[in-house]
Amino acid sequence: MRLPIVLHLIGIILRLFGLMFLGPFAVAWYHAELRDALAFGISGLAAAVLGHIMIRSSAGGGDDLRRVEGLAVVAATWLLVAHAAAAPYVLVGMSPVDALFESMSGLTTTGATVIRDFSQFGRGVFFWRSMTQWLGGMGVIALFVAVLPRLSIGGRQLFFAEAPGPTDEKLTPQIRKTAAALWAVYAALTAAEIVALALVGMPLFDATCNAFTTLAAGGFSPHPLSIMGYGNPAAEWIITFFMLAAGANFALHYRLFRGEGRVFVRDEEFRAYLGIVIVSTALLVWLLGSGSGALWDRVRVAVFQVTSILTTTGYASVDFQLWSDQAKMVLFILMFIGGCAGSASGGPKVVRQVLIARYTLLELRRTIHPRGVLPVKLGGRVVPDDVMRGVLVFFLFYLLVFAVCAFVVVALGADLVTGITAAIATLGNTGPGFGAVGPMSHFGDLHPVSKIVLTAAMWIGRLEVLTVLALLRPEVWRTTRWSS
Amino acid sequence: MALRRRFGDATGVRIIITGGGEVGYALARALATDHEIFVIDHSPEVADRFAALDIGFIHGSATSADVLRRAHVDRADLLIACTGLDEVNFVSCAIAHRSGLPRTICFVSRDDFLREEGDDSMRAHFGIERVVWPEAQLAEDIERIIAAPGAIDAEVFSGGRIRLLEYRLQSGSPLTAGPLAALNVPRRALIVAVKHREAFQIPRGDTRLAAGDKIVVMGTPDALRALQPLIDPSAAPAARRQVVTIIGGGDVGFRLAQRLDSSSDCDVRIFEKERRRGELLAATLRRALVLHGDGTDLELLEGEEIGRSDVLVSVIDNDERNLLASLLARQLGVRKIITRVSRPANLRLFERVGIDVALSARGAAVASVVHQIQGGRANLLAVLEEGQATIVELVVPPGYRPRSLQELDAPPQSIVGAILRGDEVIIPRGADQIRPLDRLLVFATSDSVARIRDFFATAH
Repeated sequence: MRLPIVLHLIGIILRLFGLMFLGPFAVAWYHAELRDALAFGISGLAAAVLGHIMIRSSAGGGDDLRRVEGLAVVAATWLLVAHAAAAPYVLVGMSPVDALFESMSGLTTTGATVIRDFSQFGRGVFFWRSMTQWLGGMGVIALFVAVLPRLSIGGRQLFFAEAPGPTDEKLTPQIRKTAAALWAVYAALTAAEIVALALVGMPLFDATCNAFTTLAAGGFSPHPLSIMGYGNPAAEWIITFFMLAAGANFALHYRLFRGEGRVFVRDEEFRAYLGIVIVSTALLVWLLGSGSGALWDRVRVAVFQVTSILTTTGYASVDFQLWSDQAKMVLFILMFIGGCAGSASGGPKVVRQVLIARYTLLELRRTIHPRGVLPVKLGGRVVPDDVMRGVLVFFLFYLLVFAVCAFVVVALGADLVTGITAAIATLGNTGPGFGAVGPMSHFGDLHPVSKIVLTAAMWIGRLEVLTVLALLRPEVWRTTRWSS
Repeated sequence: MALRRRFGDATGVRIIITGGGEVGYALARALATDHEIFVIDHSPEVADRFAALDIGFIHGSATSADVLRRAHVDRADLLIACTGLDEVNFVSCAIAHRSGLPRTICFVSRDDFLREEGDDSMRAHFGIERVVWPEAQLAEDIERIIAAPGAIDAEVFSGGRIRLLEYRLQSGSPLTAGPLAALNVPRRALIVAVKHREAFQIPRGDTRLAAGDKIVVMGTPDALRALQPLIDPSAAPAARRQVVTIIGGGDVGFRLAQRLDSSSDCDVRIFEKERRRGELLAATLRRALVLHGDGTDLELLEGEEIGRSDVLVSVIDNDERNLLASLLARQLGVRKIITRVSRPANLRLFERVGIDVALSARGAAVASVVHQIQGGRANLLAVLEEGQATIVELVVPPGYRPRSLQELDAPPQSIVGAILRGDEVIIPRGADQIRPLDRLLVFATSDSVARIRDFFATAH
């Protein structure tokens, strides 16, 4: 690994990321929160200067990016950008650990918060929380691949290292155009949601923040009681719709925009995704029982919550911490599925679970027909063995990281339900868990070490585990050198 | 179809056959009596074989314009390219087409360039009118037989409204109880032929059937379904899905599996010896189970409970192994066995040792080409029992005086199997009338076809 090249690329991204602070700076300025505006200004400037220094002190050189360098750039970029985004939180009074947690939770579109008292912070801070999610939703690197011409070299590796998925799917031959197309679709959908929410009576500021975090499958809301706080059923339906869109493969959205009808019907992953939503909703409606309101209200609540958890958004339109354990179990299982590959959502992804299910069922069939030739298929095509192996290994590592995180959180004093759900809710970038980290609660009271571990879990989960874990191999570091 | 129209009234067609292999020989033999034929082959050895036939043999290359000119390509009506090489066949057709011969039939062994359906432009480019892929033809024939449970051979007429099925009577069948006239055969089914041991005859009211006889029945699909339990009373009702086992995933096995895969009333499993080929099959087939293994491996066959298959189709590219697989399957208790035969000489042997249906890819293809050429002249719909019997379609002349079948004094070795009147299908009994402009499907022994045609043409 050639450090100068890695640093150079990170520097380019960081310098541009400094510009992003202009957003919350403007909002804070507009609302006359001058102290906050100053915090964003200083942070943005610091990020840009740091980025600039990194670029100056290293040489871009070389026209190829090695695989491991690509992984390192992606992993380090996310870590560094999270630190940069945490700076304003520290400046407005959060502890460094809390600030990094909040910032990582934003960028990785997790939506877990450590904020105990929402009235403590100004509009600029809430805008920044939502904006970090929006930037992280489609991928920070994808954004810069789209706008920075210099990233087109190696951009391909970076793009796929950031959003690995089981298959490399490009919409256009050039990765830059693919990234731009995806970002365009993403922005268009966001704009549509802002308009829709404003039309049903949500204040423009809240509509913008919520739309940012819906399309990112993030889950931060400027309202302390999440979506429940608005008490607006029409808004809940709108958000449900856009959450579903955020959890679907954006390549499909793009193709729909391009006039290819029926892409959704033909996509096997999307059909499974929709099937999961329908079945879980029906199950929840039944489990919630007639005691919790009229059937139509129960359907609204159930479909909202199912979509929110499955797409790893993490909004709550009711305090589901108060639900029965059976109903909570449904949501808990959904946390292990996640949205579609190529979407803004986190989690292991529907397509992986579909493949794992098929593989398992085929193994059952193989015990009956030991000589059977039984390939795993998706969309009528055979899934190559190495892809299948990658999927299985991914899920094993995923469970391993989950177990380690849950162990640490429980060992440091949390109860079992809190520990387990906090681990999966952060690793899967969902946000709220159950128990002490329920939807109307926060992660603020966890042990500081737990917070650090969960921050790492969000980072690892967002980059789909292997990108980060591969960098822990000793040979990566043995070959690291300063010269290019 | 085009051929049929064009040759409708011709007495003979001038045909050039390039390639003197099995296919070329079989075609020449079948067509030589009625048509003027030139065979082109570059190997002098095969010439001896053709010496006995009344044809012209030209020694030379099938892709040489000069050789084709010597075969009078300018006067010929049809070129059949059936050398063993697809590419040579294409070029032969292309040259013939350029020389002004519009009609060409091209034999192929792969579906690479010239698919039967779909894109016609490539075919047109080579000047090929019809592509014959024997393996595909065979797969189609086998599928038709499988689609008629219990039957060992099947033909379809009039767009599926009439079927002709061949059955082997099982012991205990009610049809062996008495003379035909006394039997309770479903209303719209008619036994048109009986094969007792090797002897073939058109049955009469006093004919008695015995277990082991082959019978040929014409009827509507519904009636034939009702007939099925009478043939083999021990067979399970055909309500459940058929289990079809295919041994050999070559061209025939693959195509057959593909065709059956899309129909919902078959459970297909296919044995393939080569791993790579098996993976290709598994990738393409949606529901069929592909098994990697040798179809002659008794342990494997037992492990997969082959005995419970309704039909076993053995289509390996090797007669000995096909026979072995089929006999193993018979031992394991498979009800119906269909086997591919490569060497025509083996056909009779296979059926004698208990294989229900033995088919050859070349045989099926040759029959279909001969049918295309002869059919135009004779309204011949099908040739059965290795040419012993035929089905012809006749149109009753306008001035014909209506009369019932009983009154008809038809030649003895024939039987009217079906009457098509407008959209109506009648499987006739003695009292049914024949009227002007009716279309009749007449089943007759081959030597009486000419007489039967004359009978309806002249009788008023």
